[in-house]
Amino acid sequence: MNKFRLILAIAVGKILILFSRLMGNQGSNFPGKMARRIYPGILQQLAARITGKIIIVTGTNGKTTTSNMLARIIKQTGASLVHNQAGANMIPGITTAFIAATGMTGRKRFDYALLETDEANVPLLLKEVKPGLILITNFFRDQLDRYGELDYTVQVIREAVKGKAIDLVLNADDPLTAYFRDLTAVRCWYYGFAPGSYGSRESRESREGRYCVICGQELQYQCYHYAQLGKFSCPGCGNHNPGMDFTGHGLVMHPALELRVDDMLLNSPYQGFYNAYNIVAAVSAARLLGIEPRHIQKAIADFRPEAGRMETFVINGRPTILILVKNPTGLNQSLAAVIEDQGVKNLFFALNDQVADGRDVSWIWDADIEAIETDRKIKQIICSGIRSGDIALRMKYAGYPAEQLVIKSNLKEGIEYLSGLTGEINYVLSTYTALFACRKILLGLQKRSAAPAGKVPVRG
Amino acid sequence: MADFNIVHMYPDLMNLYGDQGNLICLQKRLQWYGHRGVIKDISLDGKLDYRNIDMLFMGGGSDREQGLVYRDLFRQAERLQEEIENGLPVLFICGAYQLLGKSYIGAHGETMDGLRFFDFYTRGAKDRLIGNIVITSTITGAEISIVGFENHGGRTYFEDTELQPLGRVLKGFGNNGEDKGEGISYKNLIGTYLHGPLLPKNPAVADFFIQAMAERKGITIDPILDDSIENFAHHQVKSQILGG
Repeated sequence: MNKFRLILAIAVGKILILFSRLMGNQGSNFPGKMARRIYPGILQQLAARITGKIIIVTGTNGKTTTSNMLARIIKQTGASLVHNQAGANMIPGITTAFIAATGMTGRKRFDYALLETDEANVPLLLKEVKPGLILITNFFRDQLDRYGELDYTVQVIREAVKGKAIDLVLNADDPLTAYFRDLTAVRCWYYGFAPGSYGSRESRESREGRYCVICGQELQYQCYHYAQLGKFSCPGCGNHNPGMDFTGHGLVMHPALELRVDDMLLNSPYQGFYNAYNIVAAVSAARLLGIEPRHIQKAIADFRPEAGRMETFVINGRPTILILVKNPTGLNQSLAAVIEDQGVKNLFFALNDQVADGRDVSWIWDADIEAIETDRKIKQIICSGIRSGDIALRMKYAGYPAEQLVIKSNLKEGIEYLSGLTGEINYVLSTYTALFACRKILLGLQKRSAAPAGKVPVRG
Repeated sequence: MADFNIVHMYPDLMNLYGDQGNLICLQKRLQWYGHRGVIKDISLDGKLDYRNIDMLFMGGGSDREQGLVYRDLFRQAERLQEEIENGLPVLFICGAYQLLGKSYIGAHGETMDGLRFFDFYTRGAKDRLIGNIVITSTITGAEISIVGFENHGGRTYFEDTELQPLGRVLKGFGNNGEDKGEGISYKNLIGTYLHGPLLPKNPAVADFFIQAMAERKGITIDPILDDSIENFAHHQVKSQILGG
């Protein structure tokens, strides 16, 4: 009976996946959701077909990039893999990924499953699958997380992993990982950056993690990497960074990232310090899986950014870089990457206030936008999206000259205007619900500008 | 050029939803008017030296943090009330606003004392009042609209019918979601549930405080700023709220 329901659920799921692809849909939660209605045990059963390890990647920021890097590394070894897509990181989306990968009978075997998982979904997922390794990128205060919900989320993950034989890969620079110390059966591994790897500009946002989770005293910092990440110690109880098992050091930021994790040299086409963190996290997990350094190095060198994670488009011979922003910490890091770019540049910012963006746009005032004040190379800022006025105001009050601000609420008009400006490079920052629309517009412009001259007028 | 000293009260405890944007706004506008806005942070056990204070600002915080702040403010409440009576400009948002009343009654009946400056109380409830809000107000003499975003569990009820709300709710919840009142306005004090933050998108309210500060210092300020972006942002969200 169960076997019949499993096969029916897989068939329905596969048909729905096909339909949603034909419709050009990004989100792939629906097929998994329907399949689970037909056979609630489907995820548990398909997950049992993983012969090697199930790996969960979670945390506030960087989980998509980190899990995609790790997927690339695993594929480099020739191993087979089930891996869910960005934006489908809750139980239904994860179920969809298994249905898409398996055969009609659900008997196909895979070496690994790599599951990017929303923090709040980790306890639920652990009821259905048995991971061998969980990688946590960091815990930051998020848009919806202002009343101590972060602590609650960390606690429920802690309760869910307690007593399970899991390798837990944690960020040594994040004070909140102290919650996971001394858990029975769980083996903790720590990665992080050596002190002095990256600046210590004090940022104002995210005070959440700055208090000791053990005794509540305010932590003292020897240096900040960003937000609450850094080298800390507690004057109250002596709690401090755990010793690192995997240490990032020797960081070079330009023209692209170069760093070492212990003695392994890595080069990446990525930019931005937060991506260096993602690399250290992915590489640490890969080392724990026993993957050879040459596979890791090759995969990281070849790995290109995906949608909204510093994906590059070439329009009229100039690069335009698309970046997803969703909270103050991520925005600070994105702006840091923009400022580190020495080229003459223009910036486009699409701010929406739909549910997936966070209805409350006040988070832009918690970000350190003032950092752009001294960057004379930003020639214009185009403000777009449903709340174009709010982001324009934020820029103005951050000290950016009002006469260089342009408001174009319509995304297409705004991006076309951006593409017509002079400069060496353009940056497109977008909140979630405008991201895929921006990407589509950029792809269109890229295609048009690549067409042979004379056929299509490039600039009207 | 004069220095305008604005005290940010308990920034480490009371600072939610971009509320510090209000200070960024005041500081920038003062600079554009040719003066200097100096922000001073005061936290627990700090002393308020009113000879050098032109305005007080406090944002919202969680219950635990509000309790700490209440105990600290209570020891200097008398002087603070005197300064408010004398017209000190004060902006208290959300949790800070609630502290000005008689009490906060939690969802399970537990009562936290307030500073009792005004005859109102706040009752906590589980479901929070969240969303964009637009109100009309006459604090500047003319009728203006004020836009913001509210997110509060507490419902505030005025017991003294003489108390003036900051404005009337056009769309949103306001003090309690029932009587259409939002916030409180008393001399140069404003208490309100509006985040967003409040001042950048409502330049008339920002200038209300700047004018009040200037007047107390014997300085004249001509409202000469180009507020086209401010007004655009204001009307953009206002039309979305009223249209939706």
